[in-house]
Amino acid sequence: MSRDGRRIFVVEDETLVLINLEDMLDELGWTVLAQAMWLPEAERLAASVEAPDAAILDVNIGGVTVFPAARILAERGVPILFATGYGREGLPPEWQDRPVIMKPYTQRDVAQALADLMDTAA
Amino acid sequence: MDEVDYERIFDALPSPFMILDRNLRFVTANAAYLETTSSTLDDLVGKYVMDRFPEPGESGRRLEQSFQKVAATGEADTLAYLPYPIAEPNGTVRHRYWTAVHVPILDARGQVEYILQNTVDVTEFARIREMATLPFSSLSAATRLMERTLEAEAASADFRRLFQQAPAFFAVLSGPTHIFTFSSDSYTRLIGGRNVIGRPIADALPEVVEQGFVDLLDQVYIDGHVHQAEGARVILDNEPGRPPQEYFLDFSYNPIRDSAGNITGIFVQGMDRTDAFRATQRQRLMIDELNHRVKNTLATVQSIASQTLRSTNDVTAARQAFEARISALAGAHTMLSDRQWHNTEIGHLVQKELDVFSSDKVSFGGPVLVVNAKATVALALVLHELATNAVKHGALSVPEGGLSVTWSESSGDGLVIDWVETGGPPAQEPTRKGFGSRLLRTVITGEMGGSMEMRYLETGLRVRMVIPRAAYQVQEALFVS
Repeated sequence: MSRDGRRIFVVEDETLVLINLEDMLDELGWTVLAQAMWLPEAERLAASVEAPDAAILDVNIGGVTVFPAARILAERGVPILFATGYGREGLPPEWQDRPVIMKPYTQRDVAQALADLMDTAA
Repeated sequence: MDEVDYERIFDALPSPFMILDRNLRFVTANAAYLETTSSTLDDLVGKYVMDRFPEPGESGRRLEQSFQKVAATGEADTLAYLPYPIAEPNGTVRHRYWTAVHVPILDARGQVEYILQNTVDVTEFARIREMATLPFSSLSAATRLMERTLEAEAASADFRRLFQQAPAFFAVLSGPTHIFTFSSDSYTRLIGGRNVIGRPIADALPEVVEQGFVDLLDQVYIDGHVHQAEGARVILDNEPGRPPQEYFLDFSYNPIRDSAGNITGIFVQGMDRTDAFRATQRQRLMIDELNHRVKNTLATVQSIASQTLRSTNDVTAARQAFEARISALAGAHTMLSDRQWHNTEIGHLVQKELDVFSSDKVSFGGPVLVVNAKATVALALVLHELATNAVKHGALSVPEGGLSVTWSESSGDGLVIDWVETGGPPAQEPTRKGFGSRLLRTVITGEMGGSMEMRYLETGLRVRMVIPRAAYQVQEALFVS
């Protein structure tokens, strides 16, 4: 199954985690359209990045939560996958129905979660 | 006037009487005594009293002692409360309680000749007393009743005092408008010492109206259910001119009914749980924060492992590189934990990474500058990658090479770090972006939102990193939600 052409927007504030995620996504055939490591940048890109097929959002970035950016993406209809060390418990009620991957995640976790996300979105 | 027939009167007395000689042998007994003890005079007369009514326990001993005391002293003695079983002819034993009065009857010389005993069966009183679990007293029934009433009043006052001083709070609201008729000390403290007695709650504590508490009271008053709440948030406007304060309370509203079953008021009771609630909240935040840090650290280690393994097929080299990177990360964490995970001084960070090199090859310096935890970890990794590169490919790969690291802070740029290698092989821009340069760029321009200039010169590598203050300034807030 080819995932060529799938484009993704990533928010992650830890350099090493971001680098690793970029590599995982690259190997899974996803193109990272843009990445943000701070909330203001994440909000700006969430509104402006061109037609992403999905977004992976680290919940806690630089001491604040990513939800303001998530709201912008949700309004644009972009499927969202949250990543957090807290697991689902770390999500407020507003986002409880969204998929979550628990840090630290493996490439297989990311692949499975994105495949489910695309199935649901399709 | 006829001679009074004392013997007939003695026999007719409704209360049991008997007479012992000074050796405690029966002389006579009246009809009431014979009936009470299921005896005949023939059974008794001439018999030693303790043989006729043996009782091996405490009661028998007390009875005998009382007789002996009267015989020895010539003074009356009363046993106010004497449990004493009486055996009936059919063999059944009745457990009775007695009050016994022993009166000496003296002869002409003033010596004790007889002892008169009058006993009163107080079994019914004793049972009432037992049920009331109150100590027995030898007072009359009427006196005892008065005493009981006084005790009850004292107990009621005790209860009132208990309610008044209890750590839990209590208040009584009367009537459909919930007029305060009682407020315990702790309730009064809770509401900031306001005097509420005699006032409707909406008037006495106006801020609770729009928080829905008066509606709840109305409901309890109307339909009589008990309303209970745990950890309910209440805002109280306790100090005029100061912001209202937040409390968390466990409480209940219980309807008070009159004897006809009509609701006449509401009993309010509860506990101020604010401190416990805050402590739990704080603990939750700390656990969340710890969880976040541990998971992120694990994700970081996972990334280092995976990036290191990707970069080479040489297992030994990969292991050494991995260990060195983990060691750099661990060093940053050690510095942080030494300072309660708050922040570190940048000079210590640089020193930690460059201390392995001799000082004639490597120099570093700059102002004392404290950076936050996140910047500490990020800069430790950057310095480690730069140093590793210098040892493998740069100035520190040859004996004559040197390295200078300097930093400064300016109000415009923030933190500026200059990494200058000299005396080594000419620096060459790598054809393929390795992990080190990728890490550097992502940390400085992404994570820290700064800028970076890498110059590959004949004299060696020069790197200038400019990091805005927002990325490293020390924040006071330790916890985030």
